[in-house]
Amino acid sequence: MQKGYVLKRILYTVFIFFIVVTLNFFIPRIGVEDPAERYYPPQGNMSEIEYDIVKQLTREQYGFDVSTFQQYLRYVDGLLHGDLGVSFQPGSPKVADLIASRLPWTLVLSVSTLLIGLTAGLLIGSYAAWKRGQRVDTALLNASTITTALPAFFIALLLSLYLGFEWEWFPAYTDPNMVASFDWSWRSIRLVASSAALPILSMSIGSIVSYAQNTRNSVIAVSNEDFILTARAKGLPPRRVLYRHTLRNAMLPIVTNLGMSVSGLIGGAVVIEQIFNWNGMGTLFLNANNTNDYPLMMGIMLFLSLFALVANLVTDLCYCLLDPRVTVGGSR
Amino acid sequence: MTDKTILHVENLKVIFPNPAGVVRAVEGVSLSVREGECAAIVGESGSGKSVTSLAVMKLLSTPPAVMRVDRLEFDGRDLRDASENEMLDIRGQEMAMIFQDALTALNPVMTIGRQLDEVFIRHRSMKRREARQASIQALKLVGVPSPERRYGDFPHELSGGMRQRVLIAMAFACDPKLIIADEPTTALDVTIQAQVLDVLKTMQRERNTSLILITHDLSVVAHMADTVYVMYCGRIVEKAPLRELFRHPLHPYTEGLMASVPKLNEDTRRFVRIPDAVPNPMRKPAGCTFHPRCRSCTQKCREAMPPLRAAGEDRLVRCWHPVGETENGEGADSHV
Amino acid sequence: MKRFFSSAAAGIGGALSGIGGFVRKLWNHPKGRVGLVIALLLAVCAVFAPFIAPYDPYDVTQRVEKGLSPSLQHPLGTTITTGQDIFSMLIYGARVSLVVGIVTGLATAFLGAFMGVLTGYVGGLADMLVMRLVDIMLVIPTLPLTIVLTNLFGKSYFMIIFIFTLFGWTGLARVVRSQVLVLKNSNYVRAAELAGAGRWHIMFRHILPGVSHLLIMSTALTSAGIMVAEAGLSFLGLGDPTAISWGRMLADAQSGGALLFGHWWWIIAPGIGIFLSVFSFMRIGLAMEEIFNPRMKRSSGLYKLFRTLNNDYIQEVFDSMEEGGPGGPGKGGAYDG
Repeated sequence: MQKGYVLKRILYTVFIFFIVVTLNFFIPRIGVEDPAERYYPPQGNMSEIEYDIVKQLTREQYGFDVSTFQQYLRYVDGLLHGDLGVSFQPGSPKVADLIASRLPWTLVLSVSTLLIGLTAGLLIGSYAAWKRGQRVDTALLNASTITTALPAFFIALLLSLYLGFEWEWFPAYTDPNMVASFDWSWRSIRLVASSAALPILSMSIGSIVSYAQNTRNSVIAVSNEDFILTARAKGLPPRRVLYRHTLRNAMLPIVTNLGMSVSGLIGGAVVIEQIFNWNGMGTLFLNANNTNDYPLMMGIMLFLSLFALVANLVTDLCYCLLDPRVTVGGSR
Repeated sequence: MTDKTILHVENLKVIFPNPAGVVRAVEGVSLSVREGECAAIVGESGSGKSVTSLAVMKLLSTPPAVMRVDRLEFDGRDLRDASENEMLDIRGQEMAMIFQDALTALNPVMTIGRQLDEVFIRHRSMKRREARQASIQALKLVGVPSPERRYGDFPHELSGGMRQRVLIAMAFACDPKLIIADEPTTALDVTIQAQVLDVLKTMQRERNTSLILITHDLSVVAHMADTVYVMYCGRIVEKAPLRELFRHPLHPYTEGLMASVPKLNEDTRRFVRIPDAVPNPMRKPAGCTFHPRCRSCTQKCREAMPPLRAAGEDRLVRCWHPVGETENGEGADSHV
Repeated sequence: MKRFFSSAAAGIGGALSGIGGFVRKLWNHPKGRVGLVIALLLAVCAVFAPFIAPYDPYDVTQRVEKGLSPSLQHPLGTTITTGQDIFSMLIYGARVSLVVGIVTGLATAFLGAFMGVLTGYVGGLADMLVMRLVDIMLVIPTLPLTIVLTNLFGKSYFMIIFIFTLFGWTGLARVVRSQVLVLKNSNYVRAAELAGAGRWHIMFRHILPGVSHLLIMSTALTSAGIMVAEAGLSFLGLGDPTAISWGRMLADAQSGGALLFGHWWWIIAPGIGIFLSVFSFMRIGLAMEEIFNPRMKRSSGLYKLFRTLNNDYIQEVFDSMEEGGPGGPGKGGAYDG
């Protein structure tokens, strides 16, 4: 039964991905007859004839000289071979290569944020649940109303203003050469760590509080379950009841959302990266937007969707291992 | 059954204050259970029977509960001043509990074997492997077929009857002196119910364990109990040995409970039900709490709560006009 | 179709009369009242901005000396780049935030309610298709898609509202759907069906009122979320480039050197604006949640009660339980059954 479930889940993921690919192909083609017009919009100083020539060149360069259906097939075929197209950037670098070069830098931010948020959130959340209704718990509630109402980029600006400019604890601007000159030396690792401090901190604050709040609610919901009473009636010490019975069950809903939060973090880092001049996917995307680099924009979109899909799939399958009940019906 | 008293509770009171008022869950319950005796506590939901059982095991969380008790003696020890650490040793080892719905009472993400092991590891200081053997043995005793295989099952993979057997095995694991079973068969089909009750009864007889059986089902009581306590609105309204109670109930509430069990061999037109429902525990009626639903209610009942008084050998009743006493007539004929 | 409209009108009429009741309930809820007061203040700022703001930040002739520190004439100073009065910009900024937030919140509520009722009440194929749609929308990253679409169709708040509505209804639809499934099997809907009531009639008169509290709650919470998102998009320069919004003020402050020169007021002011608007709508939403689903309520009140609980009172309650005591009502008074 387990195998059937896994297979079904994978097939469904492929199906959804296929639809997302199709959407991705058509979005830049909405509203224009000839995609070449979108890729190379008419310039003011260009005559009709000149523009026609430019369009023709563009069509040939990007393969728009065949029917839309053939373009679509070519697009899908390219994707299957890991080809996301070619960027408008000088030197026509491949979109896939550009993403690959920036992804690690975004992951530095988002994975650290996730780990910090998750660990601190779990600890604080279970402590607040333990001290339910007491000062810690009330403080957490207040903190969560405040941080959810404060956008991460505002926190980032404040941190940049005080910790960066005023007190100069951490660099408020990332050295633009950081990525290019990175060589795994102690010096460059330290540079990365200090430059990443403020972006990570500004994303972590909200993340910690929201994980803590979720954990707290989940732990309290689970501790009202009958089996917790059974565990206590067995004479198990409170610590064991918490770790072996309460937390394991309380983790389940948090794990379910983990996949979504990773992919959300990558997409959400756009603003933070911009503020701290961090050379990640977000900056890449914004630059692509400013230069109307459609292949690059759509490539990043597709990559992010794929990332979300895979992350969802993985968490779903992990959930299977954590919660034995899932496999019974074959699906949730 | 011996004359040695295992559990003695005197004047147990539990309240739950909340912003809207005070829920008076238990209002002065006294009971005693002898070695090997099965005492049943009968009552509708909301009568305070489950709270009583949790209070005896000191499992009530305070807050939200506030508890007072004049005497809480278990096997000669005063549990009132027992520390939480002492209670941890008593629970599961000398006093155990069986809960109503085994599906929710077992941890869904742990195999039943591991959950049984925990008891042995905690109280018998066994290693994992020894605990496994002990757990399989315990499962065998309660009649779980092929226990080695079931050991690795998760709760949802077992049938309701099997799950309940697991809970029974868990309760008997350390041969406790007292087991409190809170509606142990309510969630089961009638046929499975009988099987599970038989297992419970056999285990109890063999090991001379004292049992407090909490239920609203009089057929279960008839099957299991030696002594019966009838609870209403947080108080005991009648106590009697099983036979006496069934032969001749004294409290109108007990009578009503019995009459509401349909019997195959009796005229169905005499099927009686008790009108209305259990009152809101925050606003209990003045006087005798049962008076709004009682058909032999008088002015006296509306004004004062009757005391729990002796009515024959080993019998107690809390009523101004017990069934069968003259004063207000038989009453049994006055209804249709 | 005519029946659709008459039923819809009746339903909406019922909902409007219900809103008065909601406002009253909110006012009596401590959290709700805080939210209502702040939201009303912001609304007043937005509507009467020209009368409240000392300067018109849109008027180029009313620009003054650049980079002034807070003073009596300019309570929050002036911008370093253009010399606009920051306090006036703050007041005018409420317009964008509130309009985008509330319009999106309402639109999301309508779409979510429609989809939820459709999937729950009609079910079948519609249900299946919508659920697939939700699965697709869940994986598409919203912020990048918004950026792409504004790039294609031009930067405007309409675009932002459109995209967030398009992607925002799924959560609500799911909640409404499960609630509708419960209502669908309830006796009164069954009775209406047996009485021969039409589909639209049942939907608008019986099912929608049953989920209306969910809609109002969701409108408030979605609005709050959208206000954060709008600020982010405006910060990235994706909003209407001519409008003054808090997000854009922050972007101007960042690029205009507020960080460098330590002009903290230029950053704090729009931040507080965003915070207050989001905070007030969240409070309203959470208060709604507590009013309609009391189990959600934090029991901290209970624990507070315990800390202050009067021991004499507890003793009195216990004493009243003694045999031969008055036996009977405590605080609750006489039994009124």
